[in-house]
Amino acid sequence: MAVMRDMIPPFELYQPTEVDDAVRLMRQHGDKGWVLAGGLDTFDWFKDRIKRPEAVIDLVGVEELRGISDGADGGLDIGAMTSLTDVAENADVMNRYPLLAEAAGLVATPQIRNQGTLGGNIVQDTRCWYYRSGWPCYRAGGNVCYAATSQSMNREHCIMGASRCVAVSPSDTAPALVALDAEMVVASTSGERTWAAADFFIGPDIDIERMTVLKPGDLLARIVLPAPWEGARWYFEKVRDRKAWDFSLVSVASSLRVEAGMIQDARIVVNSVAPYPVRLRAVESAIRGRAPSEETGQMAGEIAVEGARTLRHNDYKVALMRNLVKRSIRDAA
Amino acid sequence: MAENVIGTDISPPDLRAKITGRARYAEDFRAEGMVFAKLLLSPMPHARVRSVDTSAAEAMEGVLGILRADELPVQSEGLREGALTDEPKYEGEPVLAVAAVDETTAAAAVEAIRVDFEQLPFVLDPLESLREGGPDAHVGGNISAGRGEFGSLKWPASVFEEAGADKLPMGEAAAEWTIGDIETGFDEADVVVEETIVHQSVTHHPMEPRSCMAYWQNGKLFLHGSTQSTERTRGGVAGLAGVEPEDVVFIGEYCGGGFGSKISGSPIMAVPAVLSRKIGRPVMLRITRYEENYIGRARAGFQGWAKMGFRADGRMTALDLYLVQDSGPFGASDLFTAGTVATASYQPENMRFRGAAILTNTPPRSAQRAPGGAQIVAMLEPLVDKAARELDVDRLEIRKINAPGHDGWLGARQTPFTSAYVREALDLGGELFNWEEKKQLSGQRNGTKVTGVGMGLSPFTAGSAGRDGLLVIRPDGKLYVHQGIGNLGTHSIADTARPAADVLDLSWDQVVIVWGDTSKHLPFSTVQAGSQTTHAHTRANHAAGTAMLGLLQELAARELGGSPTDYRVADGRVFRAGNRAAGMNFAEAARRAIATGGKFSGGVVPEDLNDATKAAVAGLAGEGLIAAARDNYSRGGSVYTWVATFAQIELDVETGEVEIIDLASTTDCGTVMHPRSLAAQTNGGVFQGIGMAKGQRWVFDPKWGIPFTKRFYTARPPGILDVPLSPRFAAVDEPDPRTPVGAKGIGEPPVGAGEAAYVCAVADAMGGLCLCRTPLTADMILAELEGRPRPYGLLETHV
Amino acid sequence: MLQTEAIQARRGGFTRRKFIKGVVAAGATASVSGYLFRGSGIFAPMLTAQGAVERLVTLTVNGQQRRVDVPKYETLAMTLRYQLGLTGTKLGCDRAECGACTVLLDGVTHYGCSILTHSVQGREVTTIEGLEQDGELHPVQQAVMDEGGFQCAFCAPGFAMSMVGMLEKNPNPTREEAAVLLSGNLCRCGDYDKILNTAMRAAELSRSRA
Repeated sequence: MAVMRDMIPPFELYQPTEVDDAVRLMRQHGDKGWVLAGGLDTFDWFKDRIKRPEAVIDLVGVEELRGISDGADGGLDIGAMTSLTDVAENADVMNRYPLLAEAAGLVATPQIRNQGTLGGNIVQDTRCWYYRSGWPCYRAGGNVCYAATSQSMNREHCIMGASRCVAVSPSDTAPALVALDAEMVVASTSGERTWAAADFFIGPDIDIERMTVLKPGDLLARIVLPAPWEGARWYFEKVRDRKAWDFSLVSVASSLRVEAGMIQDARIVVNSVAPYPVRLRAVESAIRGRAPSEETGQMAGEIAVEGARTLRHNDYKVALMRNLVKRSIRDAA
Repeated sequence: MAENVIGTDISPPDLRAKITGRARYAEDFRAEGMVFAKLLLSPMPHARVRSVDTSAAEAMEGVLGILRADELPVQSEGLREGALTDEPKYEGEPVLAVAAVDETTAAAAVEAIRVDFEQLPFVLDPLESLREGGPDAHVGGNISAGRGEFGSLKWPASVFEEAGADKLPMGEAAAEWTIGDIETGFDEADVVVEETIVHQSVTHHPMEPRSCMAYWQNGKLFLHGSTQSTERTRGGVAGLAGVEPEDVVFIGEYCGGGFGSKISGSPIMAVPAVLSRKIGRPVMLRITRYEENYIGRARAGFQGWAKMGFRADGRMTALDLYLVQDSGPFGASDLFTAGTVATASYQPENMRFRGAAILTNTPPRSAQRAPGGAQIVAMLEPLVDKAARELDVDRLEIRKINAPGHDGWLGARQTPFTSAYVREALDLGGELFNWEEKKQLSGQRNGTKVTGVGMGLSPFTAGSAGRDGLLVIRPDGKLYVHQGIGNLGTHSIADTARPAADVLDLSWDQVVIVWGDTSKHLPFSTVQAGSQTTHAHTRANHAAGTAMLGLLQELAARELGGSPTDYRVADGRVFRAGNRAAGMNFAEAARRAIATGGKFSGGVVPEDLNDATKAAVAGLAGEGLIAAARDNYSRGGSVYTWVATFAQIELDVETGEVEIIDLASTTDCGTVMHPRSLAAQTNGGVFQGIGMAKGQRWVFDPKWGIPFTKRFYTARPPGILDVPLSPRFAAVDEPDPRTPVGAKGIGEPPVGAGEAAYVCAVADAMGGLCLCRTPLTADMILAELEGRPRPYGLLETHV
Repeated sequence: MLQTEAIQARRGGFTRRKFIKGVVAAGATASVSGYLFRGSGIFAPMLTAQGAVERLVTLTVNGQQRRVDVPKYETLAMTLRYQLGLTGTKLGCDRAECGACTVLLDGVTHYGCSILTHSVQGREVTTIEGLEQDGELHPVQQAVMDEGGFQCAFCAPGFAMSMVGMLEKNPNPTREEAAVLLSGNLCRCGDYDKILNTAMRAAELSRSRA
């Protein structure tokens, strides 16, 4: 069969208005179904004719998946279908979780933020260009990784967490949510289940064809943010080739609780270095009790990149990750 | 007196249509019964079609026809590119096309076609093809030997061993020329610098993909397409369709960007043209961005080496250049321009140019805004800086020392320039940018950011001579300027009409531009390429305006008595000198011209006009007072424009990211026709150059020969946040003496200036260290700053 | 199908029945004859599956209700261009990367190439053709005329829509803020300087008209 691109193959379309109906339709169609949120990842796959579901379940009409409201215990609940613009510009998010507002505001472009959803940004698929070009790699169900050979073009790929597949997580909001210790509420026909953000993203060692715990029939319904740390400092940075419409080469999200000039607690997460956002637990414990200084940052950066394994063209990520971790401590405000 | 319209800002006549959505580009046209075509692209970089099974596709409801390569009048053979081919020479080359009632059906039909491809050896890196036993892009060889023939250029292993991994191997050259004696030049030098430098290929990616729609009526082909030229596209389309030019109506009122990739038609236009004839239905071929990446042309890349010698006073005594060009599958001529352009910057006392243009299995190359010029400027300017640092000569000063004056010369034949206000442009730039103060900021550290300042001087050809101008004064009293040139987006479609208005002392609101449809009686013109349009077509319209002036005077004398020299023309009237009442307005003149006939209304035309212009005049005959003239103004010397761009950047040493803080450009492009458009053209070209320097990518998997940078987000053309918010601009505004108007082109020279200024500023921030590669992305910069392994070898390309 | 529809009706979501009524009242219906072959439906399921959407949709485009037969997989940009004749919305990449297809949905900028037509029911769609009111140019369009904006202008309709969206959001932007709000649109001519001049002029005109 000859290759054809840029035409969406026909499908049947469902537009439920309630979560219950959505998950019922999802279960009904199983792996022949596809959940459509903002569509910005979806249409790439459809137009490339690589993913060809029979049924598309469009969530545009499910109002209960949209919106930002006060949650329990001083936290905030964000519906998965809330647009990234609404997340980035919401007063509560901006005041209490500026880390998330910043990350959401740096996604792609204004139009994509207007249409793209927080849920979609979290569960989007990797941008490994071998995989996205439809090559039959491990992640696509094959038995080879085209990106990890001695000749491969892998500037954007993993320096840690690889297991056969070396693709990275592209999400900007994912590291922020892990750093904020958010919870992901997943709906299915068997009810709701909650995952800590750090556990929600999975590596290829767990399942090489998925980037999150979501299985067919699972719907990410909302994101629950716990009450923010009192007097928290935060930092988010995304290094990319272009200042709009680009994925991170490396990004960092940090949340620091600083008292009397000393770090009491920290959550530091780096993305686009592994198939999932990497929470740096060793760094977090090493910097406790220290001042958020250049020296502490330097030490943290060195610890962060321990064990990094580079491919032919991505050695720079080690330096970039080290420096961004340093900045996330030194420059957190 | 009407105000002189040259040198003022005008609102282009097509702007309202463009901003209300009424401007129709090729894909916006519809025809009764129109159907859609889709292409089947080669999945391999080099292959031969063994067999094709279209039975499943043909059996589909709604499929109307399939077009194969052997049905086209222009066949793909050797170095000649066809719209379709059975021996694809790059991944993505179109093999066949399917027409169906809708695109969904056509796409499904393409998928249902089985093609049995025999895989052939392929090559991406020219240096690989130069090795003994290395793969060739064509079965016939790896270089063009002229006249469509192939040659083979192979270098012995010793050449590669001698060079090592970090220096360009330099075997037998396919092209070579010298000025003076290169050894003498280096003997006389106090400082010698040399580098191996890579400039990658870059896809054009105009915003409008080259979609086209065609139908036939009464044996005539009507084709809607997107091209830079209009009249000069007709012949090309006729050839592609296998008919005579007079049987083609080409319509292209708007062109959504070309930058050299759409000069006079595209091979792919053959598909809707021939397919619509075959199936008897109008055919729309909507080219997608993905397809545009493949068939939409690219700038040729270079792997090069340069060595320069300077005397202590800063004068360049020797320039030794060796360039290996990545020519793509069908060739490119950037290589030859590159050596010539270098002379226009530095006027080296001695020079040697050597090069080899190697065919590769990558998408086809074509001219791209300063082909060869932008590359060489960006490659050489950092070396000039390196020498200036060693010589302790100011970087602006060293460029002034070597820049040509009015006695300057170009290329191996050392032809004289028509004018060269290069030092004036450099001085103006130095003032505008405040070079003296800004250069003090060089290396200054602010937190993690280091300041760099740099500049680039970029020359490029800016016109030669025009062809024909054609003017009509109709009974409504307005001047209709028939433009054979295309509306390529630079506002030149209007600006080149201004000399006609000025010669006739006519206010701009009395001028109507006729363009964009070859059935509208358009004169023969130059192609819209090589920054020709402004220079060439202002000359042609000046000639036509002068002819019109003569006809008006003659008509007035004939109708009102006296001799033609007794009459003046101004404000839409021809009248006796000193007595404005004794005369007639243009409307009256048009009526009398129609009544009189003969040479006044197109019955007799100058013999030296092109046949296409004569046909256009014949089509208009009797409709008004008609003047057509050929540009017979002087043709001697080389017309060149220079642009100097100055950049201040901040480099973040912890991330390798670069931000442009300030940017200023100046130019010697002769008389300024349209200040606002000139600034826009210059800034736009500078930004395109910055895009190439900063991050536009062209990446292939070397094992499979397949590109990954085939969409905007992977090819990464610069966005509005990647360039400075308020670039500054000024022009010398001295007329070029060779033309009555004085204008030189501006399209191309800014690109190299922007690219070089950026590269030089980054090198400056790194203490003068030249990474000698474009694009210069954050990963490369950071690896260098951190002393980590280079992400790519010095000679590696397609990364 | 019945079950879903009943739920929609109860919750006041977009009930198909209600829509169709509304359209009949408004009258305007787009033709799908002539060259409009995109919706010929050869590959679309002939029968709508139970619970799935109907092909016939009602769109509100530039203040008019338009009733169109749209394949379920069709994007808004395609419907606008090939069914409704609104070719001012351009396709530069068809991948939400260049912004040439930018339209407003309820006043907010979206990439028309990357949203299903079926997903925009009940929302006000505004295209470049809808900016001019009674022959008077929108301040954004007037600003383009004043500043001589754009070169090849293939990106112009999309940029104009982003500028309208910008003014909705920030009527008094700095040049830098304008650049951020326009960063979802590409101009390959590199006319960004003049585009920003235009954006600032548009804001000025818009304030003085208000």
